[in-house]
Amino acid sequence: MHSRRLSPRNRALLFLLIGVALLLASGFTGELRNYQGAQVAIYLIAISSIILLTGYSGQISLGHGAIMAIGGYGAALSFTLWNFPFEIALLFGVLVGTLGGFVLGVAAARLSGPYLAGTTLALAVGLPSIADQFHVLGGEQGLNFDIGDPPHWLVRLEGSDFTQYKWFFWISTVVALIALWAITNLLHSSYGRNWRAGRNNAVAAGLAGINVARGKVLAFTVSSALASLAGALFALLLGLVTPTAFPLSLSFAIVTGAVLAGVGNLAGSIVGGVVLVAIPEISGALTTHFGDSQKVSANLPGFVMSALLILVVLFMPNGLRIRRFKSKKTL
Amino acid sequence: MFIDTLLIGISSGAIYSLMALALVLVWRSTRVVNFAQSGQAVLSTYIGYEIGVSTHNYWISLPLAILAGAILGSLIDLLFMRLLIGRAKAGPIAEIAPVIATLGLLGLIQSLIGLIWGNAFLHYASPLSGKGFTFGSHTIPFSPQNLFIVVASAAVLAIFGAIFKYTDLGLALRAASFQPEIAQLAGVRVSRVRNIGWAFAGSAGAVAGAVITPTSTLSPNSLDLLFVSGFIAAVIGGLDSLVGAVIGGMVLGVGFSFILQYIGGSVTFLVGFIILMVVLLIRPRGIFGHKVSRRA
Amino acid sequence: MLVHRRTKRGKLAIALVATAALAINVLPAQARNLYKVDGVSSSTITLGITSPLTGAAAPGYNKVPSAMQAYFNYVNDNGGVNGRKIKLIVKDDAYNPVLAKSVTNDLVLQSKVLALVGTLGTANNEATTRFVNDHGVPRLFVNTGYSGFANSKKYPTTYPLLPSYVMEAKIMGQYIKDNFAGKSVAIIYQDDDFGADALKGFATAGTKFIAKIPYASGSQADPTVVGKWIAGLMALKPDVTIMFGVSSATAAALGGSYKAGFKTQWILGSVGGDGTTIATVAGPTAVGLLYGAIGASFLPAPTDTTDPYIAQFQAINTKYNAGVVFDNNVLVGMNSAMLTVEALRAAGPVLNRATLLKAIAKSGSTFASAGFAPLGYSATSHVGYNGYWFGTYGPTGAIKPIGGSYTLYTTDSGTGAVVKATSARPAMPLKGLPNN
Repeated sequence: MHSRRLSPRNRALLFLLIGVALLLASGFTGELRNYQGAQVAIYLIAISSIILLTGYSGQISLGHGAIMAIGGYGAALSFTLWNFPFEIALLFGVLVGTLGGFVLGVAAARLSGPYLAGTTLALAVGLPSIADQFHVLGGEQGLNFDIGDPPHWLVRLEGSDFTQYKWFFWISTVVALIALWAITNLLHSSYGRNWRAGRNNAVAAGLAGINVARGKVLAFTVSSALASLAGALFALLLGLVTPTAFPLSLSFAIVTGAVLAGVGNLAGSIVGGVVLVAIPEISGALTTHFGDSQKVSANLPGFVMSALLILVVLFMPNGLRIRRFKSKKTL
Repeated sequence: MFIDTLLIGISSGAIYSLMALALVLVWRSTRVVNFAQSGQAVLSTYIGYEIGVSTHNYWISLPLAILAGAILGSLIDLLFMRLLIGRAKAGPIAEIAPVIATLGLLGLIQSLIGLIWGNAFLHYASPLSGKGFTFGSHTIPFSPQNLFIVVASAAVLAIFGAIFKYTDLGLALRAASFQPEIAQLAGVRVSRVRNIGWAFAGSAGAVAGAVITPTSTLSPNSLDLLFVSGFIAAVIGGLDSLVGAVIGGMVLGVGFSFILQYIGGSVTFLVGFIILMVVLLIRPRGIFGHKVSRRA
Repeated sequence: MLVHRRTKRGKLAIALVATAALAINVLPAQARNLYKVDGVSSSTITLGITSPLTGAAAPGYNKVPSAMQAYFNYVNDNGGVNGRKIKLIVKDDAYNPVLAKSVTNDLVLQSKVLALVGTLGTANNEATTRFVNDHGVPRLFVNTGYSGFANSKKYPTTYPLLPSYVMEAKIMGQYIKDNFAGKSVAIIYQDDDFGADALKGFATAGTKFIAKIPYASGSQADPTVVGKWIAGLMALKPDVTIMFGVSSATAAALGGSYKAGFKTQWILGSVGGDGTTIATVAGPTAVGLLYGAIGASFLPAPTDTTDPYIAQFQAINTKYNAGVVFDNNVLVGMNSAMLTVEALRAAGPVLNRATLLKAIAKSGSTFASAGFAPLGYSATSHVGYNGYWFGTYGPTGAIKPIGGSYTLYTTDSGTGAVVKATSARPAMPLKGLPNN
């Protein structure tokens, strides 16, 4: 079988190259772009979780914002209550989120299509408000904290204008690249092939010896690991977790980003991430153009995003890319 | 206290049933979960609001809002859903395309409302009192408006149930949703019948919006949570079943009311999630859902 | 073979585009220019505000930015500040701290505002504190009563405006002691720092509650939640019920009480006590529900046209903010805008963030404003207003001071006593145009 992809070694090199390039670039782009770049990186991880779950394993989730919340709160709690260093807090958030995802995945494996959508939707709405019941979670106001300044050795190396936002960008970029590299490898392995086989035709896959149900649970678990990583990063960078930071619209936004990326196309997730961050910015600029009325500034970003989404689904269902997705050659 | 909680539960359950009904109607006729439902409903309500403001008459605005809902539903099917179902057929997008597309439509409708009417909270006035019925010295939290909500929901259910069960149109609707090709062979104009299904759903949503909005406020997002509850109710009852939608709605409404009273407001949806999970684990297609026979 | 190369190229292309997209943003303005001052040019002063324009907290508060803009336009038409015109950039944060953080980034890093004025919400201001401190951005006349913001060590560039909720609660507690001794008291409060501050104040004042009902911010939109508050209150029948929440919560509580036939002596916290906001949220009939309730404020009643500040602001509102009903929100907006102009003037001809902050610390306590007590700003204090007067609401939702005249009670956020204010209010500058 011709290999259509990079060898694992070249792939690793490619990621490394991209990483170095991005870190270098951060010195020239200014603080605002650094912050936005960190946001893009976080969205990237979240979108890739949906691509894995939906594009490869064929399960739909409208509640990944809730999984992000689990990761976020896990990281925040371990940072504030137990004073974990933030790297460990990050991992703790992922651990908690993965566990939650596993439980959800087991329950979800029996459900299909709209039933799964409904369940995850209920979770998305219901879970964040748990914070109001337990005061240790900070209630409605949430938990406020600060992961601190960039480490001294880095500041000495890079210069005194190494702002906290640049530090955020470095952290998120490195984490995102590592996660993406790991997932790319996973998707190109037999796991990825088995997921796609199970998605395309579960009966045939079963006959071919693939345990589809177990694959689905695994997919949900790994997808949750990614989503909770995104959520943990999100929380640490924001210095804040509140129920309002993980609204239903977040779950919708990452599914939107995945659709814009092309739901089976991991490389497109960067496009999805950039679009999600760029739309509010562009709309803001358009608003001042249209006379700066409150009605326009509040509603234009949503309008543009929705219109874009509809256009993409109707006319470019495989995402914003040039090559057509050929569903046959996917083994 | 128990009776009060039950009454509040029945009132909100009636509304969830209406929303669930609308979702089931669309599902049965098109096999699509219409996430834009709350957007359509709220837009119809805004139209009702405008008519209510200019005529100072709620009873005129109500049927017109329902008509608007029906027209809106039909238009969305004609202009949007046809295109959607024709396009996204291949690849992993096929299953989630309708979900995403209707979500996009929801966002579009809500931002359009914001651009036209603004995001301020509006008040859709109804002549029915919002003050609870009084029995002696005790006032129960169930007002004439709440009674109207229950009556309206029951009426919608009865009408649609009768149509589905006893008329040729209803038979055609059911046939077109289950086996469109065969129905077509049997002479059913599938696309027209589907369109009528969307119009029905749109009007059901409009009824829900127009009767419940006088009890609180009107804004582009005011029916969103209602949609989520309606969806959960529909799933609990089984997406294929109109009766299931109503039962699901009542179960959820009464359940939420008791949870709110005895545990606390912030966990209602979480408990809803748990109820949902329990139901689906036992019956993966909802309480009254039909088992879809496997093809091959 | 061809397919193999295309894929590899495709992936590299994506990587390059991604890198380029980020690297391309080398805007000239990003380069550090020591001689250029953020937000100040020879002709314009640029200020920024983040506020809820949409969402559950928007009713009422979404009028503040446009009111500020109206006042600034008035000043601009009359010479501006030292020849410069003021420009206010308004950003919606939907009362969501995540959004507040990103739009604040935009205001400071992209729009390059000189200062932030009138930013609203405790959680929102907390979320942006680290960034604001790092960049030394003045955050003036912050529109929240959270007592913590007056801590000048933790928030060196932040100057809150409102009396803290602790102060308000202490004063209210004293008022209850003086006028409702022996009566039973209940409270509905927002379940966050806002409400916690209030409870702290009431504890200091020694108020005993027969019921304390917290509500999660936003949950007031759910009629069943509100029904539960009222049911709980009806069971206990308090003589006095305090409502310490936002306007939409007050409207919900009053409406729910009406529906259930619950009667009590309402005392409304200043945050949620604006009649026109309540009418917006709950319909014009809701205003009638305010009748007889007691409310508190630190500014004159917005319907009191005998007050020179009110008369002047109303005139400005009619001309520069046409179509907007003048209420407490508009009053707060214009008042803060007036203080802002005085601060800018006090900074002198060399205007930058440092001189602005210095000017406020030095002469903030002398600024003229509609408030009945002067601002407490000094080199060591960031406390703004510190007092309240009490009034009752009439049948149309307008509030009038009890006893006919504005008697201000002042205190601190600690354990100091509540005392009647003795200082007089500075006279309004001619035509409401600052001349300091």
